[in-house]
Amino acid sequence: MLNEQLNMSLKTYITRLSLIAFLLVNILSLTSINSAYSQAAELPTEEAAISEGQTLFKNNCMQCHAVHEVVVGPALKNVYERREIPWLINFIKNSQKVIASGDEYAVNLYNEYGKAVMPAHDFLEDKQILNILGYIKQQTDNPPVEETATTAGGEGAPAGGGGIPQEYLYLIIAGFVIVLVLILVVLSMIITVLTKFVNNKEDLEEADKEYVNQTFNLNKFVRSNGFLFFIIFLFTIIVVKNVVDGLYTVGVQQGYQPTQPIAFSHELHAGQYEIECQYCHTGVMISKSANIPSANICMNCHSAIKTESKQIAKIYAAIDYDPETGEYGDNTKPIEWIRVHNLPDLAYFNHSQHVNVGQIECQTCHGPIEEMAVVKQWNTLTMGWCINCHRETQVQTKGNDYYNDLVKAHDGGELKVVDIGGLECSKCHY
Amino acid sequence: MLKTTYKILSIPAIILVLGSCGAGKDDTGTEYAPNMYHAVSYEPLIQITEKDAGAWVSSDDDEYGEYYSSNPNNPHSMNMRVPAENTVARSENGMLPYRLPADSLELAAKILKNPFPANEQIIEEGKVLYTKYCTHCHGEKGGGSMDETAKVGGVFKGVPAYNVGRVAEVSGGHIFHVITHGKGRMGSHASQVQQADRWKIVRYVQTLQNQE
Repeated sequence: MLNEQLNMSLKTYITRLSLIAFLLVNILSLTSINSAYSQAAELPTEEAAISEGQTLFKNNCMQCHAVHEVVVGPALKNVYERREIPWLINFIKNSQKVIASGDEYAVNLYNEYGKAVMPAHDFLEDKQILNILGYIKQQTDNPPVEETATTAGGEGAPAGGGGIPQEYLYLIIAGFVIVLVLILVVLSMIITVLTKFVNNKEDLEEADKEYVNQTFNLNKFVRSNGFLFFIIFLFTIIVVKNVVDGLYTVGVQQGYQPTQPIAFSHELHAGQYEIECQYCHTGVMISKSANIPSANICMNCHSAIKTESKQIAKIYAAIDYDPETGEYGDNTKPIEWIRVHNLPDLAYFNHSQHVNVGQIECQTCHGPIEEMAVVKQWNTLTMGWCINCHRETQVQTKGNDYYNDLVKAHDGGELKVVDIGGLECSKCHY
Repeated sequence: MLKTTYKILSIPAIILVLGSCGAGKDDTGTEYAPNMYHAVSYEPLIQITEKDAGAWVSSDDDEYGEYYSSNPNNPHSMNMRVPAENTVARSENGMLPYRLPADSLELAAKILKNPFPANEQIIEEGKVLYTKYCTHCHGEKGGGSMDETAKVGGVFKGVPAYNVGRVAEVSGGHIFHVITHGKGRMGSHASQVQQADRWKIVRYVQTLQNQE
């Protein structure tokens, strides 16, 4: 009995305890949910605050941070849910102080991002930081969709090209062929009908009858003098043209388009991204050769862009760079680019003379390089081609006192390259 | 009869042979006078590593073919070598090499002086150089990643604008040092832009810092 009573009281005690525990847990979880929400809710949502946050973000944060990608520092998406707002304010105002205080999260962050020091932003007010966080929240909630669309479009667009698409051209040609065949059928039908009609006439002379009923004799046609002459004439023309054309291409490498070890596209770099030729071909203004860029120039951008690409991996392999750690090793080897423009050894050409002094565009000789996915030799680079240009091109006298005087001495007339010795043999051959 | 057949057959043969003289995708085509085309000396930007390349047209007594052009004494048999360490390049205006190491940004910002005055001509020259070496990342007006003209900067991300925040405050020496050695994610541009040109770019960038 007593035992039973004790049992009962214990049971009620336990149920009560568990009830209390349940309530406690519930309250705790409720408050914790509340705190997460309230933290996000603390951030400003009105347009003015967010636009202020955007400007502040652009001016102070964007050098090292993006909302959705890791740049120098971590991506800031959801940052207000990762840490409490007072912690964030402290860290933004003076990150080094927080790290020095031994805050575990801050120290880990510091180590994870290569010990890059985030400069102090103590000039920002708390309210301004909240506005920045408000902007980040707005960006987190509305991830940019158009970005993927534009890149896809950017990649698809050049392939399309201008003018009528190929498929339409084929359709048009097929249409023409069908129409022509139909006309042929109709014509042959007319001929049979007419022949029948003429044959049915009684009063036809013998000669006319023969003419109407004649059949086409292929053998006779082929053996006719006219046909033979035509064939021989056509054949001779083709042979002569081919021989002359063939002889003219001896020693001319126009159209040479070698496959390079790395599939570098000028269309992408110089065309789409509008990088100036001189950024990579650094010698063009100051030396004989335009130069093939060294890999450190590639790395100015490709330390961060397209680091996953197989083609870029070839650069990394050549300079012994580890994209994971960002460190360089000693085991370097040259990238064996294949030279496209091979001027014969017997001719001298100087880039700086033409580009710097003559102010000639690269495209004048190299063609539309910014549209070439694989570079090819655009012009003939023959002597006739050089001479022609020297005859036609006006000397750039602007800003050159010597040539200015020379033009004056020639009554201000035209001063072509040929007039200053552009056709002298020993200018290019020595 | 046989003779005429040969004659007739020789015509398409000539067409085929001459038709293949021109250069194509991976083919440089037929050369007219190979001995005059291929340099005897070591050419810096071309290298043929096969030892017997062009042996059929070889005119000298060495064991190599006419086209072979590689220097077996160099690393990777390359024709070019890196200049010896501490080589001082000759420059037009007699500038000595810039010797402050990469980690001396603060010192450089304090002590360096621009040898060029901030006159119109220098700024104009700086602008031309800026367009060539900087625009694709920093934008025409130095707006950084958000500048529409910064095609690469937009993809690279995180390029700051010149005229706001702490970047607007940095000195000419700071800018020069950053172009030379890079900073953060920006790489060194010392191999691309000569010293004098760097100082001219600094003059132009300073006008961008002060805009608006």
